[in-house]
Amino acid sequence: MKFILPVFLFLAFNLSAQTPNKFTISGYIKDASNGEALIGVSVFVTETKGGGVTNEYGFYSITLPPANYTLHYSYVGYSTITKTIALDKNVRTDIELSGEAEQLQEIVVQAEIEQANVQNLEMSTNKLDIKTIQKIPSFLGEADVIKSLQLLPGVSTVGEGASGFNVRGGSVGQNLILLDEAPVYNSSHLLGFFSVFNPDAVKDVKLYKGGIPARYGGRLSSLLDVRMKEGNSKKLEVTGGIGTIFSRLAIEAPIIKDKASFIIAVRRSYIDVLARPFVKLLQDGGALNFYDITLKTNYNINPKNRVYLSGYFGRDNFKFDKNQGFSWGNATATLRWNHIFNDRLFSNFTAVYSNYDYSLQFGRDEKDSFKWNSLISNYILKPQFTYFINANNELNFGAEAIYYNFEPANAVGVSNGVPTDVSIPKKYNLETSLYLSNSQKITSAFSIDYGLRYSLFNSYGPDSTYTYSNEVPGTRRLPIASQYHKSGDVIATYGNFEPRLSFKVQATPTSSIKGSYNRMVQYLHLISNTTASNPLDVWNPSSKNIKPQVGDQYTLGWFKDVGKDRQYELSIEGYVKYNQNQVDYINGADLLINRYLEGDLLTGQGRAYGLETYFQKKTGRLTGWVSYTLGRSELKIDGINKNSWFPTRFNQTHNLKIAAFYEINKRWSFSADFIYTSGTPATFPTSRAVVQGIVVPYNANESRGNVTLPDYHRLDIAFRLEGKKEKRGKTRKNSDYWVFGVYNVYARQNPFSIYFSQNDKRVPQGQPISSQATQLAIIGTLVPSISYNFKF
Amino acid sequence: MKNLAYTFSYLIGALLIFSCETKIDPSLEKVDPVLVVDAWLTNKLGNQTIVLSQTQPYFDATTPPPVTGAVVTVTDNSNKVFSFNEDAAKPGYYVWKPVGNELIGVVGNSYKLNIQTSGENYSASSRMGAVPPVDSITFKKNEPTEQNPDFYRGQFFAKDIVGKGDTYWIRTYKNGVLLNKPSEINVAYDAGFDAGGSFFSRIGKKKNGQDSLILVDFIPPIRTRINPNDTDANDNALSPYIPGDSAYVEIHSITVPAFNYLQEVSIQTNRPGGFSELFARPINNVSTNIANVNPNGKKAIGFFNVAAVSGKGQKFKKN
Repeated sequence: MKFILPVFLFLAFNLSAQTPNKFTISGYIKDASNGEALIGVSVFVTETKGGGVTNEYGFYSITLPPANYTLHYSYVGYSTITKTIALDKNVRTDIELSGEAEQLQEIVVQAEIEQANVQNLEMSTNKLDIKTIQKIPSFLGEADVIKSLQLLPGVSTVGEGASGFNVRGGSVGQNLILLDEAPVYNSSHLLGFFSVFNPDAVKDVKLYKGGIPARYGGRLSSLLDVRMKEGNSKKLEVTGGIGTIFSRLAIEAPIIKDKASFIIAVRRSYIDVLARPFVKLLQDGGALNFYDITLKTNYNINPKNRVYLSGYFGRDNFKFDKNQGFSWGNATATLRWNHIFNDRLFSNFTAVYSNYDYSLQFGRDEKDSFKWNSLISNYILKPQFTYFINANNELNFGAEAIYYNFEPANAVGVSNGVPTDVSIPKKYNLETSLYLSNSQKITSAFSIDYGLRYSLFNSYGPDSTYTYSNEVPGTRRLPIASQYHKSGDVIATYGNFEPRLSFKVQATPTSSIKGSYNRMVQYLHLISNTTASNPLDVWNPSSKNIKPQVGDQYTLGWFKDVGKDRQYELSIEGYVKYNQNQVDYINGADLLINRYLEGDLLTGQGRAYGLETYFQKKTGRLTGWVSYTLGRSELKIDGINKNSWFPTRFNQTHNLKIAAFYEINKRWSFSADFIYTSGTPATFPTSRAVVQGIVVPYNANESRGNVTLPDYHRLDIAFRLEGKKEKRGKTRKNSDYWVFGVYNVYARQNPFSIYFSQNDKRVPQGQPISSQATQLAIIGTLVPSISYNFKF
Repeated sequence: MKNLAYTFSYLIGALLIFSCETKIDPSLEKVDPVLVVDAWLTNKLGNQTIVLSQTQPYFDATTPPPVTGAVVTVTDNSNKVFSFNEDAAKPGYYVWKPVGNELIGVVGNSYKLNIQTSGENYSASSRMGAVPPVDSITFKKNEPTEQNPDFYRGQFFAKDIVGKGDTYWIRTYKNGVLLNKPSEINVAYDAGFDAGGSFFSRIGKKKNGQDSLILVDFIPPIRTRINPNDTDANDNALSPYIPGDSAYVEIHSITVPAFNYLQEVSIQTNRPGGFSELFARPINNVSTNIANVNPNGKKAIGFFNVAAVSGKGQKFKKN
């Protein structure tokens, strides 16, 4: 692995030395109506049949020999702009693209340009813009970023109400969720029913499932990159709405026209406000609400410098009375500075603060009480550079340093007047990484992106570490020795090379074959042994006893554009993953406020493989996609399932999703989604044993996941009615729309779980006790919803 | 901390209107039965019983098939043998009858169980730990709710023994009837829930530097888990106690493996359903301390523990 770095440097040096007598066209591409930077706009040069794509900040740079060129700037849903440039010096060309004026109009695009997925080197990624997310029918009518992801290939969930999502057979804790580059440790409001992202403030969502670029690291399965709107830099805009759960309001406006703007978006659940007059609990200091505030501002200092400041604060509050209850939430702040050193060297410097915490409080009086809070906070510094060497090479390099502060439990319990501090020592960690990658077009048909990331993880004192006894795998290991480490002492160090490679072969103008390999390393572990993860789950860093998770993924895919206007996109991707140091738990593991937690953890291997097919219709009155994934996800943990492979709780053999959007007329549109997945694995007992009058389930085969729950399927629909565009013959300044939705249209009782229990009636000892199995559907009915949204 | 799951389910009770539960009758794998040992002995006066039975298919609602004709003995660390003889009237029940005031257990002694049946030889061991007295039992009226204007709950007080690693099983009798539903299993690790917590009686320092004894009462969730979970014919919760009821609370000293066993039994059997299923853990076999002397022989499950017991009764009189 180590030989790669010098090769890189050589290549980079060599390539940059080769480019005299060439000039660069560069600039930012924005939305003409609101000044938002557009990510992923394709810039196509007719003469060279090549081009580029705008990065996360809307910047592009293309270097070519002097000549006359025709450039096409195109983006789905926007009118293409064509520019002719006589290239005899470096040219800065900032472009503003306008949205399609008439939605029903057939979009005519130049065939070569509209095929980003086939031409791009990138694979295993899915992008959802916020307009699509808002069209997808949703639970209780609340447009939801995370729930929308579940319609994409390779993404699954353990069921309704479960927070997070599973990507290609990975666990919820193996996804890195970034909101404007700040990690979000819990992406859910109200357990898992809603996600923390306010759709009014989100611009764009991109999910990386494989072929993950070297600039990202830290989780095994996926990276969800959520980018916030910058705020309208042209005019004041107010959007808002009243839904079944949330009422929302967002204000965006220029501070200095075309130079500086801001957005502030607020959301709050309002059921408690309505219920307050009728519920005594709420009048007596009880609470039940959740809200979030999203803020962003940016300043275009000059053509070479731009700064962004964004922040998020969200909270869930549940209180039984003044003194009892709990709350949790995320807070993030991101400061970014885009600096263009020259036409070909783009840089971004990011500083991030992120915090997730929860607190609980029980006990009506001081004599008997329990107060507990826990948090994970981190500080991140991230310089990143993109060097557009020439038309054939794009070099990315940079570094990242993350300082973690874990406070697993600050807790004091008072029992009958005697206080006891049961806090767990804080943990301090530093994760640093360096990366370098080059995206190179070797021939017109063959491109390759090769990169390397090196990550280093240190845990520091003060802390105590323990040595645990060797027990039969699957049973609790006891601490047999402890060692205290002073403040600043390095307790454990892990370093890993993470190679990344992807390639593309352009087989025909409309089809390509792509492949990738990536190694990911994860130093934080989400400690959760329940079916769905919950807000109290603890993140635990790698330590003397817990090794980092390492995952290797190989993918191969075929991408094809179909149709006269290439309005259809087809892709088939296969993936294979091997993961090491996967965490599991002993039976009866105690995960909360347990200083000997490591003695309750088990580790083993994981593997997942699957085939994803995706077919999308991108234009016309009917748009949408069909996605089908065939997959398997397994673990092998000593102490579980007789030490042999077993399916994970979120393993799904078949996973079919259909999403369709239809414009009925200028005012009405219809959308629907249908999901069909195989049931997830469950563990059933074979027998029962009666001990001390209690019926204890027993699985004589000691198996895990020995049965499969019934299949899951569901249809959701929504109708959208646009408000009248004109009033008394005049065009209205403001616009509004209604959404009428039905979730789970045919009221399918999809099983979330099947559980086994004894009859709840009191039975005298020695008398027979009956036992039963119960199937639970979290959503067992159809759920109608209505929401009103406005914009002016 | 496992109670939190239930707390969550209350919080989102509003969403329960969408959920639904159905009794089902899935087919289960057919397997051979396994010996089940139910051997929880105490130092209480009177007969001590060990029950041997077999596992049965999960949905078999009859009393478990007894294992008869076994030879069952308990031996202490001074090689005193206590013989358990099968009760002629109750197959599978093996009983030791004391002579006079003879007791089976002494705090600090260790005990070994031996069972010979169908050509297999099983053994298990236990040690009798110390037990603190029950200090008091009180009854208190709940905050009145619309459904239950008179809702009384009980609470007991007892202090953990000084030092770390004392484990207890609290068993409550209401009007002489043992509370033995899965939701009523009440175990304590020192004064709290688990080994990783730090609720335990200890020697602290006074301000003047002198040692002082800090005795910690069982934490409130343990103290209040002496209330029966009973419902009326319409599934409404009943007041756990009403004036005139009596509660008798026993503390049994158990070994740490026995504590782990009961905690696992509680996780595996206390399944209230509903949203708590979101936070359910996978079905796992609970541990056992019954081992076949021949490692390749047939397995057995169940548990053997010898406990010292303290207890106190209280009648609920309304002032």
